[in-house]
Amino acid sequence: MSALPVRVRNAALVACAALGIAATGCSSSASNDAAKSAEGVVHIKVWAWYPEFQGVVDVFNRTHKNIQIDWTNAGAGTDEYTKIQTALKAGKGAPDVVMIEFQELPTINLTKHLVDMGQYGANAIKGDFVDWAWSQVSDGDKVYAIPVDAGPMALLYRKDIFDKYQLKVPTTWDEFRTEAQKLKAASPGSFMTDFGANDAGFMMGLMQQAGSRPYTYSASNLPNIGVNVNNDGAKKAMTYWQGMVADKLADTTGYGTTDFYNGLTTGKYATYIAAGWGPGYLSSVAKTTSGKWRAAPLPQWTAGGTVQADWGGSSFAVTDQSQHPKEATQVAMEIFGSAQEPWKIGIDKAFLFPTAKPILTWDYFVNKEYEFFGGQKVNTVFVPAANGAGTFDWTPFNDFAANQITTAIGQAVQKKASFTDALDTVQRNVTDYAGKQGFKLQ
Amino acid sequence: MGSSTRTAPAPAPPRAPARARRRGRGVGRQNVAGLLFVAPFTLLLIAFLLLPLAYAFKISLYRSTLIGGDVFAGFENYRTAFHDHEFTSGVLRVLVFGLVQTPVMVALALLAALLLDAATSRFSRLFRLAAFVPYAVPAVIGTLMWGFLYSPNTGPFGIDFLAQHTVLASLGNVVTWQWAGYNMIVLYAALQGVPREVYEAARIDGAGVVQVALRVKVPMVSAAIVLVSVFTIIGTLQFFVEPLILQPLNPGTITRSYTPNIYAFNQAFTYQQYNYSAAISFMLGAVVFVGSYLFLFATRKRSALR
Repeated sequence: MSALPVRVRNAALVACAALGIAATGCSSSASNDAAKSAEGVVHIKVWAWYPEFQGVVDVFNRTHKNIQIDWTNAGAGTDEYTKIQTALKAGKGAPDVVMIEFQELPTINLTKHLVDMGQYGANAIKGDFVDWAWSQVSDGDKVYAIPVDAGPMALLYRKDIFDKYQLKVPTTWDEFRTEAQKLKAASPGSFMTDFGANDAGFMMGLMQQAGSRPYTYSASNLPNIGVNVNNDGAKKAMTYWQGMVADKLADTTGYGTTDFYNGLTTGKYATYIAAGWGPGYLSSVAKTTSGKWRAAPLPQWTAGGTVQADWGGSSFAVTDQSQHPKEATQVAMEIFGSAQEPWKIGIDKAFLFPTAKPILTWDYFVNKEYEFFGGQKVNTVFVPAANGAGTFDWTPFNDFAANQITTAIGQAVQKKASFTDALDTVQRNVTDYAGKQGFKLQ
Repeated sequence: MGSSTRTAPAPAPPRAPARARRRGRGVGRQNVAGLLFVAPFTLLLIAFLLLPLAYAFKISLYRSTLIGGDVFAGFENYRTAFHDHEFTSGVLRVLVFGLVQTPVMVALALLAALLLDAATSRFSRLFRLAAFVPYAVPAVIGTLMWGFLYSPNTGPFGIDFLAQHTVLASLGNVVTWQWAGYNMIVLYAALQGVPREVYEAARIDGAGVVQVALRVKVPMVSAAIVLVSVFTIIGTLQFFVEPLILQPLNPGTITRSYTPNIYAFNQAFTYQQYNYSAAISFMLGAVVFVGSYLFLFATRKRSALR
């Protein structure tokens, strides 16, 4: 019988799995030992997943003699967070510098394994960044990360589809709905947009614009936390989108899925509600639609309003496993910083939206014409959006909170149930969880 | 059901000591030789199975909160899991899944193996290879491919296979596609081991092809059928890879607690609840153990594993 090969094979698999875990656990400790090489050059290990990042690393390594970056792509988003949390918990295996998105920063900071870069002079560059971005990464004089990019939200729309069906570019959400109905009547297979209930950041952004501030939290105010997920602003936004979904004006395909790319390419979706990094993303997943897209400000809840929202954005933090926190801080500050050479790569190739004021006002960035958008100066739309985004707190257990939103709204979409009831469920689950974790609810 | 979730059957006892005894060597040398033969396996078993298990059990007895830190909590995590709706509904889901999946899988594999055994042509060799190929495709790749096929837009069917009422059957289909061929090979190999004279005798007694298959072949390979069934039961209870890969496609139906393994994974590596995750894993292990044991007990007459 074939029992033997089965056994051998399984044993090999188990061994591989064990080695795989061991490998992530010990990979960087070796490089830490070798961090300081003979000539006094300090090697700083960096985890990041920005597109085209090798070029940025090359610029840094060329312009810095005594510090060299060893870059690893440890996965995007949750993949990296899983690894960094495990490495921080294990006490070894973490890099010196790690890329962390704004919404995740309080979660990782709660482990108390991030270095306060204020003590290494990070406050000196505070004025280089837009206020809300700096407030995301700092707590008074304590600086836990250096901001890199942001995700101010705007409306990307297909000009060819809008022209064909004589749609008007909506300035309010009411108009957005009216135009959506017009489109549906003229072309029943099309959708005005897609509502990706699998993306918590997207939904949080929409709710933020409607006035939602679901959490009140600051690392200096532990263990207090305020949880108000089912606030009026959030309910207003979700009621609106429930209506859009129910009337089939918005599709419900998950963001980042093949179906979604397919819809963007084929013209199934007339608009894409995007963040500052959206244009770059769009031009890579829907290449064939180049020239057909335009950008417009995010529709408003009240006519003439200028309330903006943010979806995403990231920063560089230094871990307490670094043997060279001072040099690591310098890497975090200068890898993008507000220098034009790395940002040129960031703008042209990686489509990052900067948080550094010198770049936000740099003529090259502001007036850059984008071929994908038919020559439109897209950043003239996104820059005001970036300046208009207000402050926003995240929870120190973002993965849990975000999963509650995607699960509850996702189920409401599936079962055609009430979105506001889903918010009530999230509120209940999050307060329950926070209490169990020892937080004091305010 | 990931390939790594399969548990190896208990290894056969090493034959070396018996052989040494026959040769009439000294007792001391016998023992040394025996120990040497067992040592590599024992070391690996201790290092990669028993020690991690003991460690996991230890941390399952502690309670860790984001604010409070670690405190000894006895069996509190286990009590919590018993009342945790997300965990219990996940367990229930995989039990239902296993109840349907196991017979379907085993029946398909057995049918294919019997057909293969009956026919010996070039086509049968091709069929054997073709049925086995899905097993050679990495589970992640296979699941991604099915994800495309299941999509109402990019797939050829235009049906949402991952909706509330279709998702479990769709996942079952992926698992069957992946593992039926493998199980077929196990059963086919067992069939090949049956002496041909038995079939001849049956034919002389007037049995047709179907009768030979049902009354001679199936009983003769019953031990292999039990083995395949146990593998499938364990695999379905530990259901992980397929729902994890398809999760982003429909988070509303495939939740973060869809199966107990996915729940344990998320508790540990997404929410940093290592202690609770360890408790869940131990409870799942208990369910798997009891499930497998019950099955072996119920089939003890046929399995030759008494």
